[in-house]
Amino acid sequence: MKHVGKLEYYLLALIAITLFNTFLGEQFASTTLVTILIALTVTYKGFMVIDHFMELKGANKNLRFLMKLYFTIFPSLIILSAFY
Amino acid sequence: MKNNPINSSLGIFPKSWSEEHAGRIPGNIPIWVGILSELTEFGIFFVAYFIAKFYYPEVFTQGPQSLHTSLGVTNTIILLTSSYFMAKAMANIRLDNKSKCERYLWLAFFCGCLYLIIKTWEFYWNDLQGFGPSTSEFFTVYYYMTFNHFLHVGWASCAILWVIFRLRSGAYSSKENSGLEALAVYWHMIDLMWILIFPLLYVLR
Repeated sequence: MKHVGKLEYYLLALIAITLFNTFLGEQFASTTLVTILIALTVTYKGFMVIDHFMELKGANKNLRFLMKLYFTIFPSLIILSAFY
Repeated sequence: MKNNPINSSLGIFPKSWSEEHAGRIPGNIPIWVGILSELTEFGIFFVAYFIAKFYYPEVFTQGPQSLHTSLGVTNTIILLTSSYFMAKAMANIRLDNKSKCERYLWLAFFCGCLYLIIKTWEFYWNDLQGFGPSTSEFFTVYYYMTFNHFLHVGWASCAILWVIFRLRSGAYSSKENSGLEALAVYWHMIDLMWILIFPLLYVLR
């Protein structure tokens, strides 16, 4: 853990993004733009947890690649589902 | 950990995947085999979700509106906070601060228990509204995903108790903590799965 003080910042950012996503879902019909926005924030949240909580940043590059690929593929499917 | 015997004795991956070539493996290789298997399992659920949504778009538009969104949001915040506590536990064992490490592990455990209680309440609330696994295609996917995730939080919470027991018996220190770190990465994986499940079931309409 290189930057212990930053963990609090990451937690607050993750909670803020979650509340923002929920607000978008509750207040707006799922337009393509809202869906894309939610998918991008899901990817961002995933990357934050992978890099800073799971501590894969600077660790095994293959494991980090696989985890990030996972959080790229499924949010991409969320975007694709907006065009059904 | 570097030169961890459990990581160097498993010759099941190409040399380019070794710690020497690709970098340190948090925890150990067996836990990553488990994590990648779990990711595959959840991946199948997610693919099933998108296929079902393709064939039944109306049902998947109505479904999230039937759920108790506040409970889903609360559980998301609880799991994110539990991941933070787990990361703090790891930070403290590296400083050899075992009492603080244990305190954070207990906090993560209580978050896990709180998640299970709220999720049980949510299942009960759904039942009161007349919703069950066979109500619609959306609820079938919802119960498959959330109950499976519920089980993962349950047994990982039990694993936290085991790790606390090991910590108290002196198994972990700043030099050797791969067992604790293996639990930490597994716990974060469970959090990551909820990060994907939450928008699919509660937010997107």
